[in-house]
Amino acid sequence: MEKNGHILTISGVTKTFDGVRALDDVSFSIRSGDIKALIGPNGAGKTTLLNAVSGLNPPTNGSVLLEGRDVVGLRTDQIASLGMSRTFQLIRLFTINNATVLDNVLLGAHMHLKPTLFGTIFLRRKIKRQEREITQKAMDLLKLVGLEKDAHAFPGELSFGNQRLLELARALMTDPKMLLLDEPASGLNDTEVEEFTRLLMTIKQQGITILIVEHNMKLVMNIADDIVVLDFGRKLAEGPPSAICANPDVIQAYLGVQSTECGVPL
Amino acid sequence: MSDISHLVQFLFSGITVGSVYALIAVSLVIVYKVSQLICFAQGEFFVFGALTMTTLVSKGVPVPLAFFLSIIIAMVLGALIQQVLIRPMKNTSVGALIVMTIAISLALRGLALLIWGRESHVLPPFSRGEPIQILGAALQLQILWIVGITAVVLLLIWFFFEKTPAGIAMRACAENPYGASLMGINTQRTTLFAWAWGSGIGALAGMAVAPMLFTQYTSGIMPMVKGFIAMSIGGLGSIVGSVIAGLLLGLVESYTIGLISSKFSDTIVFALLMAVLVFRPNGLFSRS
Amino acid sequence: MNTLKRYWWLILLAAIAVYPVIGKPSPYRSGLLIFAGIYIILAVGLDLLMGYTGQISVGHAAFFAVGAYTSGILTAKYGFSPSAAMGVGVVFSATLAFLTGRPVLALKEYYLAMATLAFNEIVVTLIIGFEGLTGGASGLRDIPPFTIFGFSLLNHLHYYYFVWTVVVLVIASALAVVRSPFGRALIAIHSDEQAARSFGVNCAKYKTRAYMLAAVYASIAGSLFAHYMGFIAPDDFGILTSINLLVMLFLGGIGTIFGPALGALFLKLLPEITYQFQDYELLINGIILIVVLVFFPRGLFGIFTALRNKIVPRMGK
Repeated sequence: MEKNGHILTISGVTKTFDGVRALDDVSFSIRSGDIKALIGPNGAGKTTLLNAVSGLNPPTNGSVLLEGRDVVGLRTDQIASLGMSRTFQLIRLFTINNATVLDNVLLGAHMHLKPTLFGTIFLRRKIKRQEREITQKAMDLLKLVGLEKDAHAFPGELSFGNQRLLELARALMTDPKMLLLDEPASGLNDTEVEEFTRLLMTIKQQGITILIVEHNMKLVMNIADDIVVLDFGRKLAEGPPSAICANPDVIQAYLGVQSTECGVPL
Repeated sequence: MSDISHLVQFLFSGITVGSVYALIAVSLVIVYKVSQLICFAQGEFFVFGALTMTTLVSKGVPVPLAFFLSIIIAMVLGALIQQVLIRPMKNTSVGALIVMTIAISLALRGLALLIWGRESHVLPPFSRGEPIQILGAALQLQILWIVGITAVVLLLIWFFFEKTPAGIAMRACAENPYGASLMGINTQRTTLFAWAWGSGIGALAGMAVAPMLFTQYTSGIMPMVKGFIAMSIGGLGSIVGSVIAGLLLGLVESYTIGLISSKFSDTIVFALLMAVLVFRPNGLFSRS
Repeated sequence: MNTLKRYWWLILLAAIAVYPVIGKPSPYRSGLLIFAGIYIILAVGLDLLMGYTGQISVGHAAFFAVGAYTSGILTAKYGFSPSAAMGVGVVFSATLAFLTGRPVLALKEYYLAMATLAFNEIVVTLIIGFEGLTGGASGLRDIPPFTIFGFSLLNHLHYYYFVWTVVVLVIASALAVVRSPFGRALIAIHSDEQAARSFGVNCAKYKTRAYMLAAVYASIAGSLFAHYMGFIAPDDFGILTSINLLVMLFLGGIGTIFGPALGALFLKLLPEITYQFQDYELLINGIILIVVLVFFPRGLFGIFTALRNKIVPRMGK
């Protein structure tokens, strides 16, 4: 299992769309319990990589080892059940049939309940008990992200930032070992970013490993243990924040004007 | 009759029926291309075309005039439906839209019942004359009309989409409505236009076969379903694909009825449709 | 007031139970109510599939046919007891749904609509084709009345109570499904299939399960229909029936269970009002549906809940 303490090892991951290489032989690994940031210019392949890892859009080549097990070729729902959860860059909450904020979080428990049709119809008491337990847990998570008052609201009624927090709560509901966050802080104001930073540290303290795609360099520098830089689908650099900040290639390709953010690492 | 004459006879009926399917499929595709909507009421235009023309002819209106009047009435009806009923439904689910067109078809069928009653009506053939004998098979003159009308319509459509500004605009709307509206194309007018065309062609299909069928208010259902099949087999948005699929469908039907079994011809046709949908969802003729 | 809101369904149950005693309905009217009950069972199942799981079906009557013909053939020709035949029909329908579910439900929107429509027609043409077994286009006769525990259902009243008991059970189980983790998974699939997958929902499996449950309900409805009528013909199970079910769903308010039930009740009782102008019935149906779709997209049930909320002010959550 946790060989070398690495929970996720990506090696030689390549993804081509109609002959175009969106990802080109990307390899890196993440230590268990770390926060790893994935940065790079728009179109560098960051979301493509997350989709390749989570199975939404499997890689053309390469392997993705989650706790030593290659998950390439598994269905998305199987990968999710192995303990990988995620949020989306473009928010994707469940809104049909008057689903509430609470319902969205509760769905996160799906992989642990695996409800059957038979049980649903004939074992009502068991379902009711389960439902009480997970509702309690969901409310705790909503409290953690500060949305407990909105539990019975509809997701569409929440602000943009709160919808992102709701996505996070839903992802946490799965009891993930590994969390993939796709630009979770975009659209948040400065105070919200600060709160969000604290929230990520709390999650980290619970032992959950995080791979985060983020453009907000201040946030990245504050929380990341390690950074991978992607450019044109290739890995440009990898290392701790201080090393990345000092890397001339990275400054040229991506950081450039933003490099002031690097002045205050950690 | 010899074996060959049988085969030829099946060919004639296959092409006849296939032409009708092709026309209906094309009328569906035109509407689908601009509205991303399959109109379940298309079969009703088939009925309205046939019955309007029958009534006009029986009242002594000359055949050519009745022909054009019926088409125009159907076109106006189609445009009206688009403008009044479909347009306000822009932001609803596919399910709701399908049901809306079903509602329209119920209303139109109900209207046809009130106007023409429950009995069947037959239109006299467009031209008199004995059937032509080919290899021992009889070719009715109306079949020539049907095939001729289908060919002319398809040519006109090709010319329209390839050579006229309005047709090119319509294609642009189908491919990228937002971009088209940015380029100053009036998407609403184009959509209206497409509905009028679609309805007119649907009516034309009904009129062309009216001399060979007993048309009544419910006669639109099966042609519409077959038109759908042709459209699906041809790939939802492809005019050429659905024409080929329509003809093919007519031939498959005719030969299975003739050679295999009349009982199971529809079973075979629908099984074929399911197989195409499951294994080649983009249509039988799509690349890759 | 709160108790009223909680236990209103008891009033509904009581109303269903005492109606025949107080209303003394004519056989014609009981017949309408029995048909309405059968269609409610069909519509509720379809609502699970369409309103909750988001999978369009224009062929739901196929399973209605499978239930009706399995019951009809086994009881009329092979001497099965009606309840055993109904059981066989249920197993048969569920198996059929299981086998066709995966490939068919992998399709979306219009493609799915076409495939389900084709499935419906295949079932109907097979019924017409295998005359020896099914009676073909002219129908299957001499289906015996239903019997439970040796007791035969002989008149309209018996069927009324039996069918409506099944209706209540079907609605209760459908509600149990949608208000559960299972139902949440269905709603997630309806909302965003990819996102649902990312949270461990095996979409193909859950879609197929919903399809199977809807098929089972439809099959039961078919068995009830066959025994009540004593005679069935392919016309009762064609795509027009499937389309009628869609109409009921949207008329009543899709995705609410009660809405489609209301829609089925409304459409099946409408002849009571419109029978005097028969030829107008089709046009009236069409116009009612158009009006509902344009002005009340949430259907009759939406109108009903809006009215209730006006009369009974909203309770605190």
